[in-house]
Amino acid sequence: MAGGSSSDPLGGREPAEPLFELPPELAIDTEVARRVTVGFVRNQLRQAGFSRGLLGLSGGIDSALVAFLVAEAIGPENLLCVLMPYRTSSSESVDHARLVVDQLGCPSDLVDISQIVDGYFGRDAEVGAGGTAAREASPLRRGNFMARARMCVLYDRSVTWGGLVVGTGNKTESLIGYSTLFGDSACAFNPIGDLYKSQVRQVAAAMRVPETIIRKAPSADLWPGQTDEAEAGFSYPELDRLLFWMIDKRRTDEELLAMGFAGTAIDRVKRLVAVSEFKRQVPPVAKLGPRTTGVDYLYPRRRPGSSR
Amino acid sequence: MHPLRIALAQLAPRLGVLDDNLAAHRRGLAEARSGGAGLVVFPELGLTGYQLQDLAAEVAMRVDDPRLLSLAEETAGMSAVVSFVEEADDHRLFISAALLEDGEVRFVHRKLFLPTYGLFDERRFFAAGDRLRAVESRIGARLGLAVCEDFWHLAVPETLALDGAQILINVSSSPGRDLAAIHEVGLGTAASWRTLMRTYAQLTTSFVVFCNRVGMDETISFWGGSEVIAPTGEAVFTAPLFDEGLHFVDIELGDVRRERIGLPLLRDERPELHLRELRRIIAERTGMAIDAASEAPDGAERPARRGEPEQS
Repeated sequence: MAGGSSSDPLGGREPAEPLFELPPELAIDTEVARRVTVGFVRNQLRQAGFSRGLLGLSGGIDSALVAFLVAEAIGPENLLCVLMPYRTSSSESVDHARLVVDQLGCPSDLVDISQIVDGYFGRDAEVGAGGTAAREASPLRRGNFMARARMCVLYDRSVTWGGLVVGTGNKTESLIGYSTLFGDSACAFNPIGDLYKSQVRQVAAAMRVPETIIRKAPSADLWPGQTDEAEAGFSYPELDRLLFWMIDKRRTDEELLAMGFAGTAIDRVKRLVAVSEFKRQVPPVAKLGPRTTGVDYLYPRRRPGSSR
Repeated sequence: MHPLRIALAQLAPRLGVLDDNLAAHRRGLAEARSGGAGLVVFPELGLTGYQLQDLAAEVAMRVDDPRLLSLAEETAGMSAVVSFVEEADDHRLFISAALLEDGEVRFVHRKLFLPTYGLFDERRFFAAGDRLRAVESRIGARLGLAVCEDFWHLAVPETLALDGAQILINVSSSPGRDLAAIHEVGLGTAASWRTLMRTYAQLTTSFVVFCNRVGMDETISFWGGSEVIAPTGEAVFTAPLFDEGLHFVDIELGDVRRERIGLPLLRDERPELHLRELRRIIAERTGMAIDAASEAPDGAERPARRGEPEQS
């Protein structure tokens, strides 16, 4: 899609295939990123009056990295990783999640969400709570429902665990809206939401997240064989570069074209970003009173007296 | 010989918790005193935290607030720069830096430039100061106080130096951002600040003291990296990024004289030239003057400008 070369993130340290492709402009100082995000986790929990956190561990790189960051911030014993496969989820996903749990030595729970999801959509001849029509539901509907079922489980476990739900979405998926509203994007706070996928990979490599997790093709694993890049029609390095220049560096369409990005890619990504604006914002409230939350009642989320 | 020991209090204030922050300042003062410091510098809004929004009015103090005065009382025989939300008699709120000396509030600088762009929204909550003066200090030097964004405007260090400041003190709550491997220490913000401070120290042939906070307010991380820069533009001391700490730095005030004799940039400044051109520029920008460059017919007499004869 775009011109320009990519560098080897391992800097030639290893003759083997590089762990991932890194566009040079997305290279970050991983120590600073680690420092800030770990401090952020600690601070968010402390300000809210909590000492524990939990997250949904999918087996993918994003939640794996967040698990590493949270474990470093508050100790692995204070992190609960919840594995929430559906019956068609890849068994590899659970295996990879277990790799993370074993390496960190943190507590974990396995909650099979099949009954919840099948209880709504039905299974085989059985009709679920959603009625007969729900049996014909598209993969997209089922995928969104699974994401929201996981959210329900996490928020329920947050009560029994006594911790806050830590978000695991990255900047790339947030910008193009590749997430389920009130599903996987639901959280108390998110330490990696301002890191592009290519940057998540760098920090993950620096923190020794298992290589097999860094190398595998990212997938929402909502249906068998699904991969992010096939679904989006972009590779992450391409998409990250385009978003970086378009949004962070404010390049115009003309400038992006001159840089070698394809016009069709620019148009498509701009549309994805615009269409998903609602997913990144708090739902709007009609302005009526003299002071309205988010408009002219503006307080820090955390202030004296706001913690539990 | 005129040595001075400076203590940089690179604190992580608690947002909106005035009492805790006052206590932290007291501890900082005591530690600085026992370490032999003559001047202690605390960061911007160190007494209140930065991302206050509507909390600003709730943590504001008048300059005669008993809490501020009691903090000042702990500066017998020493100097300290502290920063807080100041409420004026007319109830405007300012981001202020006060020089506390020998038990009293000696001087207050109100932040002049309030960033209201990008992640900043200061103008919504605060009024901008309108005075820029250097102040004579008990340490035997004139000080120039500035708050964070004030240093992103060239006129500030220049004016303070022309007003006799030998030590420029900038207190900051600078949010770390623009994370990229190409920047020095990985942060675009830190790289920019370091460039500015070395440049100002060199061009004003003054010491520059920068105290930047650490810790987090909401989503923002403050990067620290407090520094003391010599009049040559060389860093005397650089504090670690992100870590809280009180750092002692010894300087020799005689270095100001030495540098200004060898490199008499301040002697050669042309404030009268600057002022004349500024008057013209201001008039033009506000549409008050007839533009000399505008097309007058050939040979037509060009009207003289207000207040001064044209030079030929």
